[in-house]
Amino acid sequence: MRRQPWWALWVGTVIVTVGVFSSITLAETVFVQAKTAKLRAGKTSLDRVVADLKFGEALEVLKKEGNWLEVSTAAGVKGWIFANKTTTTKPSGGDDALAKLGKSFRRTEASEVTASAGARGLDKASETYANKAGITQQHRDAVDRMTAYQIADQEVEDFLKEGGLGEYAK
Amino acid sequence: MRNKIVGTIAVVALSVALGGCAEMQRAAEGAARQSGDERLARAIHGGGTLISGLLPIGYEEESSIGQAIALQVVARYGGVSDQSDLTKYVNLVGRAVASTCDRPDIPYRFAILNHESINAFAAPAGYIFVTRGLLKQVRNEAELAAVLGHEIAHVSQKHILEVIQRSKRLAGVTEAGLAYAHQNPEAFKGLIDAAVKKLLDEGLDQEKEIEADQLGDVFAARVGYDPTAYVGLLNRLKTLKGDDRAFFKTHPNFSTRIEAVQKVMQSEGLKPTGVMLGDRFTKLSKG
Repeated sequence: MRRQPWWALWVGTVIVTVGVFSSITLAETVFVQAKTAKLRAGKTSLDRVVADLKFGEALEVLKKEGNWLEVSTAAGVKGWIFANKTTTTKPSGGDDALAKLGKSFRRTEASEVTASAGARGLDKASETYANKAGITQQHRDAVDRMTAYQIADQEVEDFLKEGGLGEYAK
Repeated sequence: MRNKIVGTIAVVALSVALGGCAEMQRAAEGAARQSGDERLARAIHGGGTLISGLLPIGYEEESSIGQAIALQVVARYGGVSDQSDLTKYVNLVGRAVASTCDRPDIPYRFAILNHESINAFAAPAGYIFVTRGLLKQVRNEAELAAVLGHEIAHVSQKHILEVIQRSKRLAGVTEAGLAYAHQNPEAFKGLIDAAVKKLLDEGLDQEKEIEADQLGDVFAARVGYDPTAYVGLLNRLKTLKGDDRAFFKTHPNFSTRIEAVQKVMQSEGLKPTGVMLGDRFTKLSKG
């Protein structure tokens, strides 16, 4: 039987060690699973907000108490977050890497699409469809209004608070 | 000749395999065209087109598709209610549930359809509809949250987009966004009409409906709504007869759905919270 070179054993040990340590790190990391989330000084919704967190942000878990996690952000800010706003797997979000790659391959007139995104009005593709399908102006206006419909994040927050929902649970 | 074929394959493979490959593919295509080798340029272009057809649909393209499907839903279900207070209330409940769903980073919009059938629909990119008929069956905010959660799950799990992706592959279409609608409006219409038929007439696959039931209840429970509320609503809908149940012919039977929701409550450890918010629903749903 041929003997394995010494460096093969060394490389193997490094790979196993890295694997073990990264899995430990992953087990202690959570990600923000909400459009926005507040990091608070204590574990109640009445405590002072120490940071506003963004969707997908990685947080290191320091402690768990009831529905709250004590965490540390990448910038080193420590605080408490409502556990239901976190997930242990990294969320992929609206466009994952593959979708972005697919878009870059397609010969879409990207600037026109981008210009219409978020702006009031049907986009050109839908307008073309509406013309072909004979959709009435009244129904076009309805979808137009729906697209433009906005509610401020603060209003949603107040609604949760009033209903004793989310981190405002009694 | 053999060398040329090998070269073509190598360039195509290289151009699509490396990092930043779309740019590289364009550069390779341009270089081939400049050198007068149109065949090679076309082969490189074809390689990229083939790959793009297999890659998932991005949000901008999803948005065009969602808006076009929304137009058909509105047209076929009597238009959208103009009761602004009621619309705002449904949007607040929907936004609360969507805020902690598995895809909270896209806009979700909710509208009420002027239709008496008991129905709810979701189009890609967060266009969600409930009928006036369905709202009449709902007794509290927790039930409404679960219904909206079900539709949000269809969007977050990209169930309708999967249907479109399959149709695109079958039709050999590489994109269904603005450029495609512009170049080939008839084919774009065909793609949307097929998705609308699946959504409104045939129904999505049964396992997708079960997944939406389970995830919808989880999403609503994450916000704090009582997870047993949805079981209550499904039990009540189960007793309906005749035309009122027409829509549900496209869904799995109620016993299967109730069982699936109870199963997820157990596996996810969802406990009754008692948060039904019946009074707020009664007050605000009167619009």
